[in-house]
Formats: sequence, structure tokens, C-alpha cells
Amino acid sequence: MINLLILSITGFSMKNKVNNRDETIKWVISQNSSLSVSGSTNINTFSCVIPSYDRVDTLTVSKNNNYGLVMLSGKIDLSINSFDCHNSGITKQLQKTLNEKQFPILHIRFLSLSSLPAMTRKPEPVTGLVDIEIAGVDKRFEINYRISRDEENVIHLLGSRDLNFSDFKLIPPRKLGGMIQTKDQLTVEFHLKMETI
Amino acid sequence: MKKILITGLIAGCILFVLSYGGLFLGVRFFPGLFVAYDNPLFNSDGSRDVLFYMHAFIISFALSWFWDRFKSLFKGTFMMRGLEFGFVYAVIALLPVMWISFSSLDITFVMVSSWFLYGLVQAIIAGLVFAKINP
Repeated sequence: MINLLILSITGFSMKNKVNNRDETIKWVISQNSSLSVSGSTNINTFSCVIPSYDRVDTLTVSKNNNYGLVMLSGKIDLSINSFDCHNSGITKQLQKTLNEKQFPILHIRFLSLSSLPAMTRKPEPVTGLVDIEIAGVDKRFEINYRISRDEENVIHLLGSRDLNFSDFKLIPPRKLGGMIQTKDQLTVEFHLKMETI
Repeated sequence: MKKILITGLIAGCILFVLSYGGLFLGVRFFPGLFVAYDNPLFNSDGSRDVLFYMHAFIISFALSWFWDRFKSLFKGTFMMRGLEFGFVYAVIALLPVMWISFSSLDITFVMVSSWFLYGLVQAIIAGLVFAKINP
């Protein structure tokens, strides 16, 4: 919450002071990265995955001593069409609910980290801010991350967050006159595998 | 005409309670049968809920008219007349519709069979009501 406040107040001025930062690291996102969305209805649960990331994107980590805040910049763009819910009906329903025809891409923009992780093999918990854009609605969230680096120097960034359909002005599907109802809450988890460049 | 409307209304109220009550219990106790409804084929925004819940009355008024027109053809006890009426409706109206639905829509055999049984039970109940109050 404090991060959110600091970022909101200082976001623009920090961009202008980027030259004062002490460290800048670039991470390139590997194609093995994945994202999953899980939720439930009153009759079942569902889990939908985007099993691989088909673009080449980088995240830039910049530590700024003036503010003690670690800036994270970069974004991932995920095709809603790539979701696989392991059931064609549920997959199509999720794509329809997320308004895939009008807004085919889900964007996650990375903004900050609470601290610069040590990058050991033991996953280190940090938090960070992201902007998530779904169906044309942009919303800022604090994400719980676990960051580690494995023996092959691959950085693992695991993030998770509970969201609501209603956060993005989406209506959870209801069927048969409301007898089957999808719950508003969704859990989004992503696993980015990255290499330092 | 008044008789048709009154019997249709009574049957509609009875079917409303039994059909949606049964559906509610089905969803609650046999959720696995309803997972296939999580599909864009079925309306999901609630905009047609009123139409959905009117179905019990639509079928009741239609069957009430059909009963009044052809009730002399159904012989025997009120139970037999109601049962025969339900089966006639199922064979004439439901079976062909379910056949074309299954052949053309991306729906499962279990789903289409459940619709057939649902309609058959509705028609039998309506037939029993008509045989009792509009013999």
C-alpha cells in the first residue's frame, strides 16, 4: 500500500530521474513462461493456462537510491485466445467472458518491486506493483512474488494475486437462470522464467 | 378458451415449482451433469432469465390448448390419459427437436437426453393436471 502511494506520487518524477539510479538489470523473458487463471462456479472449479509465452520481451530492473524503491519496467502481452481450460466449452466461455473478440490481449505492466532480491536458489518473497489490463480496463495491483535463480542462472519470478471479474467491469457468467453461477473471484498466477542480459 | 387459460395457468404454476425445484436440486446434488453448460452456447449474462423462467407457463398454455383440442382421443383412467398425453407430446414434439439439436449443436448426448426426459416429465405432469381438472 505504501509502495502504491509512493509510486502514485512520485511515478512521473522518478521517470525523469532515471539517470540517478545505481543499478540497471535487464531480464529477457523465456518462452517457457506461463500464466494460469483459476476460479470456480457453484458446481465446479476451473483452471485455465497459457502454457508458453510466444513473444520476446524484457523486464528492466532499476534500483534508485534516492527513493529506495526498485523500479521494474516492461510488460507482457498475453493472447486471450491462448488460454486452455482443458475443456473446450469452458475455454470458449472464458474467452467470451474476457471479451476476447474486442480485447484479444491481456497486458501486465510491471512497475516496481519492494526490494532488490538477492537471487539465490531459495525463493525470496517480495511484493511489487503491476498494472493489469483486461478487456480494456486497467487496474493496479500489488502482487506477491517469489524470486529465485536456479543452477542454470534462470531467474524464476512467480507471482500470484486474487482478482475479481468485477475489477475489470466484467460480469461473471451465469447459466440456466442463475442456477449455475461463476464466482467473481479469480486467482491469477504467473511464472516468468528469465535470463539476465 | 377460459378453461384452456385456467388449466394452463394451474399447470404452469405446478410445473414452475416442480421444474425449477427439480433443476435446483439437480444442480445441487448432481453438479457433474451440469458442467457442460459452462459454454458460450448458453446465455450467460442473465438477459434472458425472465424468458427462461417463463418456460413452465409457455409449455403449459400450449399443452393446455393441445389437450383441450384432442382430449377425447385419450382414453382410460386419469393416470393413463396423463401418461399417454406426455408420451404423445414427447414423440411428436420433443424427439424430432432433440434429434435436430443433437445433430447440429455442440452438445452432449447426456445433455440432450436430459432435455428429452425433462420435457417428457413436464408433459406427463401437465397431462395429469389436465386429465384431472379438464377431463
